[in-house]
Amino acid sequence: MFRTEMMDINMGPQHPSTHGVLRLKLVLDGETVNDTDVLIGYLHRGVEKLCETKNYHMIEPYTDRLDYVAAMYENLGYVETVEKLMGITVPERAEYIRVLTAELQRIASHLVWLGTHALDIGAMTVFFYCFREREIILDLFEAFCGARLTYNAYRIGGLPWDIPPGWIDRVRHFVKIFPGRQKEYETLLTKNRIWLGRTKGVGILKSEDAIDFGVTGPCLRASGVDYDIRRAHPYSVYDRFLFDIPTGENCDTYDRYLVRMEEMRQSLRILQQALDHLPAGGVMAKVPKRIKPPVGEVYHTVEGPRGELGFYIVSQGDDKPYRMRFRSPSFVNLQALPHMVKGALVADVVAVIGTLDIVLGDVDR
Amino acid sequence: MGMQAFLQKVLLLELWQGMWVTLKNQFRPHITVEYPRETVEFAPRFRGVPRLRKDPQTGEELCISCLLCEAICPTECISIVAEKRPDGKGKQLVSFTINYERCCFCGLCVDPCPTKPITAIYMSHDYEFAGYDRDAYVATREELVDGKPVKIYTR
Repeated sequence: MFRTEMMDINMGPQHPSTHGVLRLKLVLDGETVNDTDVLIGYLHRGVEKLCETKNYHMIEPYTDRLDYVAAMYENLGYVETVEKLMGITVPERAEYIRVLTAELQRIASHLVWLGTHALDIGAMTVFFYCFREREIILDLFEAFCGARLTYNAYRIGGLPWDIPPGWIDRVRHFVKIFPGRQKEYETLLTKNRIWLGRTKGVGILKSEDAIDFGVTGPCLRASGVDYDIRRAHPYSVYDRFLFDIPTGENCDTYDRYLVRMEEMRQSLRILQQALDHLPAGGVMAKVPKRIKPPVGEVYHTVEGPRGELGFYIVSQGDDKPYRMRFRSPSFVNLQALPHMVKGALVADVVAVIGTLDIVLGDVDR
Repeated sequence: MGMQAFLQKVLLLELWQGMWVTLKNQFRPHITVEYPRETVEFAPRFRGVPRLRKDPQTGEELCISCLLCEAICPTECISIVAEKRPDGKGKQLVSFTINYERCCFCGLCVDPCPTKPITAIYMSHDYEFAGYDRDAYVATREELVDGKPVKIYTR
């Protein structure tokens, strides 16, 4: 007489907690998620193809628009890939400034993650606190490169400008005040009973599954795998800094929260060391005006705030790449979502999307 | 129930604790800016809309129509028409337009500009350029130098 059946529910593409235009087709058994279909492509702009028609200088503004929350890393990964292909050695001062801006960007990106993740789960105050500190970092970036979101801050072979006067002191000031501010977020969340209830044991991703899915970044480290490209394949001058790689044990959303919080502290440590050892000198290597890399192909990765950010360029000796490919961490990490939410409640899907920290500009490219 | 817990309940200690936090935040300095009435100060390197510049001393146009900015623009928003000078030395501008609809504010056009000591094209600090139609976003040579007149909305 009575029968039950599965119900298909669309979550997104306009759902506020999908962080962009992500559409999830949830197959629900009551309130329990039985199956998830991740539908992407709403923000597809064809950047990889577009890059084949642009010369190497012109591509950098396009990389800004991939992962717009951490555009500094897209810039860094791209210019380092071209430098690797051409065999350019970047002046040491430029490398240090790159590390400084990149680590500041990691903190800014994690602040956006923390603010929006907490907002999705229902803790609104954290959002305002996080954006207050992010504002300081964006002001620093504005003083350094003139933009607050799409920086276009590096050039192939170094930096277009040296840092402005007084910038170092402002970064020092930020490094000094930030631990106190971070404590503020932690008093709001770390032992908050609602926060614990919504994140502990939610979205479990075992380490072997994480490796199978190709998940990288904080999500992989929270699953207990000690893998960080800054340590495993050091790029730039990262081999000179002392920092720890935090890992989690319980593989759940709460551990990913703890790992990212600790990563911000480690970023501050790197910032402190880079500030103390900032060498003098020029910031631009000798680079030909027309960038024409030799025939060949190259793959280079950097550790972005979301994971392994890779760039693959095939050059045929032209001033335009023959093939350009981005290995975006958001796209790869998103694969694990159906696995992580299987058997969970609909409300947990929101938490898992938040904890994966996807940026749809990076997913769809 | 112990004495301490009892007092906590009767004196509403936790409530006052919460109110204390609220009170403390009342006196924190504001971090937001009431935008139309006050504006934030920009860093000197702030990249607003790209503009053309005249020589501050002589008042002549600096652009030498080398087309380098047009060549490097990733969105192809700059279009320059140039002709040979009548005296045969170099080129002179016929028209110089920037389509602000396409401009992505990357600032790459400023890098190769060869005029010394200041570049002919520069990233200005202007950022308010809302318009009523698409034509409002195509800035011609004169508008690029003096700034596009902004229509102010009046009630």
